[in-house]
Amino acid sequence: MTDYSCLVVEDSPMMRQLLVFALARVRCIHVTEAEDGVDALRKLASQKFDLILTDINMPVMDGLKLVKRIRADAEHANTPIIIITTEGSTEDRQRAMALGANAYITKPIQAPQVIQKVKELLKLA
Amino acid sequence: MSDDREDRRSDAPADLGREREVLVRQFLRRGFEITESMLSENHTLRDELGRVRDENARLRSHLASDTAIRDLIRRIDALETERRELLLRSDALAESSRQSERRSSEIEAELHDLANLYIASSHLHSTLSLRRVVRHLAELLQQLVGAEGFAIYVSEGDGRSARPVYSENLSDVPAIEVGEGAIGVVMATGIARMADAPHPAGSLEAPVAIVPMLVKDSCVGAIAITSVFDQKEHWAEVDREFLRLLGSHAGTALIAATLYAERFPEGATPDPRIALAPMHDQLARQKESDASADKSGATDR
Repeated sequence: MTDYSCLVVEDSPMMRQLLVFALARVRCIHVTEAEDGVDALRKLASQKFDLILTDINMPVMDGLKLVKRIRADAEHANTPIIIITTEGSTEDRQRAMALGANAYITKPIQAPQVIQKVKELLKLA
Repeated sequence: MSDDREDRRSDAPADLGREREVLVRQFLRRGFEITESMLSENHTLRDELGRVRDENARLRSHLASDTAIRDLIRRIDALETERRELLLRSDALAESSRQSERRSSEIEAELHDLANLYIASSHLHSTLSLRRVVRHLAELLQQLVGAEGFAIYVSEGDGRSARPVYSENLSDVPAIEVGEGAIGVVMATGIARMADAPHPAGSLEAPVAIVPMLVKDSCVGAIAITSVFDQKEHWAEVDREFLRLLGSHAGTALIAATLYAERFPEGATPDPRIALAPMHDQLARQKESDASADKSGATDR
């Protein structure tokens, strides 16, 4: 069975824990955590991931900038990105999708929803 | 006379010979005819025998074919019965599979809810910093419940009023009197209130959810949620569980952080082990106190 690597970018340790727990329900996924956009770019410089989940509102570098930087990098240009938005407002979501995100999840997150999106993008469904 | 006799003598053998010859010839002809007739009859019978044999073989073959058909029909019936049984079993298995999937989804959801509750509880008690406890509490309300507008109230020392220590998306959050107003009543009774649905948004006078923070049956504060995110369409059972958990854990977490802050004022960042140093003395004192209480109880008896 193929192993997949997933990068979770979220400044809240609690949310990271929730996401890691949800992803642990999907077999063969290895999760790497990053605290913000800069931390994520550092990790992306040394490793290629199969999937990236990122929050939008983060200190240092927010999720939108991160999506833009990832899409500008040929190495990670095609890596699927799921953005996690706090609010249901469509503005941030539309911007992120326009920048190249592949899917979005709104908070409060539900593990089954996260699992479904992840499986869809990794073509595990 | 004698000539007549001689003539007769000479004629008789000649006639007999002819008659015999005729008779023999007739006999032979008849024998030939009979033989020919018998041969013909034999030929006819042989033909007839051949026809009968062919007919017999055909009938045998037909009979065998009928038997095979009957066998096949019996086999088809048996297979049809087997097919129906298999279909029934297949339906039963499909139903069982559907039930398992439903159960699996329910277990997944329950697991997710338990994980949320565990994470909420562990994060609430993961720090002794008062600011962090309040921040975690706010974060839990936002991230797990989907609260958009809310206020966290903590009782004043006399327990007759409560002041907000944190609020989100609320412009003016006044102090409240315990026993007055929706929040005050919840603090006085210690009984949570939740609207049937989180929408439409409420206000501080009529929040969509009010949860008392209880410590040993005493209400030390309250969480009032006035609005939730648009995407949260209804309360889930886990929301009630989660708010109940916050109500029972937030108070103790706030008290522990407050006592810790008093013991180690702002700016000091002691090794947490220092905070536990007096614990052994306190435990010993409590043990002595419990023992003396037991002794006096025994004397009274």
